[in-house]
Amino acid sequence: MSQNVGAKVDLRKKLAQNKMFSIGLILFGMFLLATFTNPYFFTEYNLQSVVRDLAFIGIVAIGQSCLLLLGELDLSVGKIASLSGVLGGMMMVNYGLNPWFSFVTCILLGALFGAINGTIITKLKLNAMVVTIGMQGLYGGINLVLTKGKAITKVPESIYVLGTGTFMKVPVPFLFTLAVLIIVVFLIKKTKFGRYVYAIGNSREAATILGVKTDSVRVKVYTLMGALSALAGMLMMARLGASQPSIGDNWPMNSIAASVIGGLALTGGVGNPAGALIGAAIIMLIQNMIVLYGVNVYWQTAVSGIVVVLAISIDSITVILGERRLRKAHIAKRNAGLAAAHKE
Amino acid sequence: MQVLEARKITKTFPGVVALKDVDISFELGKIHCIIGENGAGKSTLIKILTGVYEPDAGSVLFRGEDTLHHPQLFDNVAYVPQEIDLFRHMTVADNLFIPFDKSGFGKGLVHRRELEERARPWLEKFHMTAQPDQLVGEISVSEQQLLQIARAMIHEQASVLMLDEPTTSLTMEDTRRLFSVIREIKAEGKAIIFISHKLDEVFDLGDEITVLRNGEKVAYADIHDVDVNWVVRQMAGRDVSQAENYRSTNVTSDVLMEVRGLCGERFEDISFTLHRGEILGMSGLVGAGRTELMQAIFGYLPVWSGSVTVEGKPWKLGDTSYSVENGLIYLPEERKQQGILPNMGVKENLTMSLLKKLQFGPVLSERKETKLAREIVDAYAIRISGLGQKIMNLSGGNQQKAIIGRSMFCSPKVLVFDEPTKGIDVGTKAEIYRLMKKHAEESGIGIILISSEMEEVLKCSNRVLTLYQGRVVGEFDAQTADKAHILNAIMGIENATLQGSAI
Repeated sequence: MSQNVGAKVDLRKKLAQNKMFSIGLILFGMFLLATFTNPYFFTEYNLQSVVRDLAFIGIVAIGQSCLLLLGELDLSVGKIASLSGVLGGMMMVNYGLNPWFSFVTCILLGALFGAINGTIITKLKLNAMVVTIGMQGLYGGINLVLTKGKAITKVPESIYVLGTGTFMKVPVPFLFTLAVLIIVVFLIKKTKFGRYVYAIGNSREAATILGVKTDSVRVKVYTLMGALSALAGMLMMARLGASQPSIGDNWPMNSIAASVIGGLALTGGVGNPAGALIGAAIIMLIQNMIVLYGVNVYWQTAVSGIVVVLAISIDSITVILGERRLRKAHIAKRNAGLAAAHKE
Repeated sequence: MQVLEARKITKTFPGVVALKDVDISFELGKIHCIIGENGAGKSTLIKILTGVYEPDAGSVLFRGEDTLHHPQLFDNVAYVPQEIDLFRHMTVADNLFIPFDKSGFGKGLVHRRELEERARPWLEKFHMTAQPDQLVGEISVSEQQLLQIARAMIHEQASVLMLDEPTTSLTMEDTRRLFSVIREIKAEGKAIIFISHKLDEVFDLGDEITVLRNGEKVAYADIHDVDVNWVVRQMAGRDVSQAENYRSTNVTSDVLMEVRGLCGERFEDISFTLHRGEILGMSGLVGAGRTELMQAIFGYLPVWSGSVTVEGKPWKLGDTSYSVENGLIYLPEERKQQGILPNMGVKENLTMSLLKKLQFGPVLSERKETKLAREIVDAYAIRISGLGQKIMNLSGGNQQKAIIGRSMFCSPKVLVFDEPTKGIDVGTKAEIYRLMKKHAEESGIGIILISSEMEEVLKCSNRVLTLYQGRVVGEFDAQTADKAHILNAIMGIENATLQGSAI
């Protein structure tokens, strides 16, 4: 029995170690497949549009991956993003404030929303999923009250460059994503703070006993998540040239799916935020391929859903098959032993 | 008539022999008590008798048939666990008959009315006052305990009933009611296995008694032929040899830590002092409140009232971060949940409390960290394949050495070891004792040792405090104390203070 467990752990370990590499390979493989099976894929226009779409969900997924490292998650990311966009739009359009000032202020407001989430979850010892479902209702509701469901248009053009511009052919929003990735990976991998995040995800009890101020670290990660959601929301506003109250509705699920594809364990403590970006890229690539292959528009959501579930399952299926093999071997051994004992 | 029999049972776990050549048999119509200290092998024996573990050697026979070939024979052994293990939000009747298909309600639909009617005679039989439609969460603990027994007896034509410390959470009155039910079951001709720490109960109820010590059966007797003193003597075994000990030889009169009138959820009005260079043993039954007390002092659990001072200065309670930084370190019993960060490397596990020292600006210095981790690994002879190896893949002993090592590098003043040798092989045990002694003597720190193993407490401590139901009930000088007296004290037997110095 102890052998059984040991082998299982080893298998998991191997998978975890090769995870970044293996999903990188999958992404690369999909990229080649798309390039060689569809003439429209490897064109400047298409690639730019995929990368631009990736930028927004990528930023959110990187933030979500930090929460998953803690063993928690935030389902209000989409609503924080759209609320920040709406607040930004109002500051620029209705109150005529400086666009850059508004941009930064709204990111800080997003951080505040995240901090509120985190404070409620840690101080009242509540479950992150339940609290953030509730909070997304609140943020979404404020959004509706402010806009009555209508987009805020005529956002100052000076800010468009953040959403629609390119720099050396790379869409500007994606530059933000890369900057976020570098900063977050640095925080998580190179600083004391990041080490605490992993520790809490591994065992909150053990981290506390080791003297880590777990609640404070958790609130900080929620704050970071809020800021990143708001950043994605503001970039989206710059891209659309308007504050749409409906943006980000599928961000919570996609960011979690991206993280899980990217090797982050839902139970916490395992993975790398860079994996979440690769995971997001895989999801965006799937969606792009579905469009390019001309899948019936009504089927697109269903197909991309199935592919995401498949991508998430690969890991688990490998483990289940491994366990089954071990169990068969164990039963065979036991039967042989019983037969021998019977002869005696 | 013999119904259940274990022959020459041996069971080993990595590094530990849990049971060695144990023979035991149970007769219909008799109550057989099994008694022994924590770690004597009782729970392993229970698990073998109920078919949870397979023995490495030896066999379990039910009415002469080998259970190895017929594992379904274990269905005849009804086991009632120590903890209440019921569905609190379901009714009494539901709890009694679940899973329904096994108790004859297998037609897909469960008729509430029928279920409750069928439950009634059972409740009467067990002298329960609860109604079948009451929620289990609403009935008293003793009713819950009775319900557990009823449930265990209901499924099969169980002929053996095994009760694991059924009275832990019961009052005297409830215990009496439970005992009369047990006697009735016995009168029906069932075999009863009764496991308890409370000797008065054993003598009140039992017919036969078996004493386990260190995984071996050391004594068996008809209960009418022996008395309490005999049992305690058998449990204690030979006196711990005074020559082989790991006590600190450098105890000072300097008071390092003073605890005054501390109250919390599982302990009350606790006062004691710890001296520099001293190893203070803390003895008591599981559930006596030792772990809760020390975790509260450490800041992990809340304190309701009372105070702690260290080196004469008031100590801030309720903040583990403060404790670790200021030199009060707790080494948990539950290593897997509270001690290690399982998926992280050995290096990260060793340096977690010391990251402040390893910073270069905002960045953790890889070089400094590796150097520090290497130092700890070398100083404590931790066997690893590399600093990046996941700590969960180390043996228990090596994990414990890693935990001790990293604690020592935090420049501690007080170290609290909670069951430091649980699940650790004999060789490493001695190594851990030597480390405790060395640190108490050389660094002038104070050590508190929580342990359920009497020998360990006597071998390592200078002084022993005994806790019983959340209170300090005795204080002994480990050098002169008699093992039997300490055992009496931790089991709450009054004359504990005859030879030990009373408080």
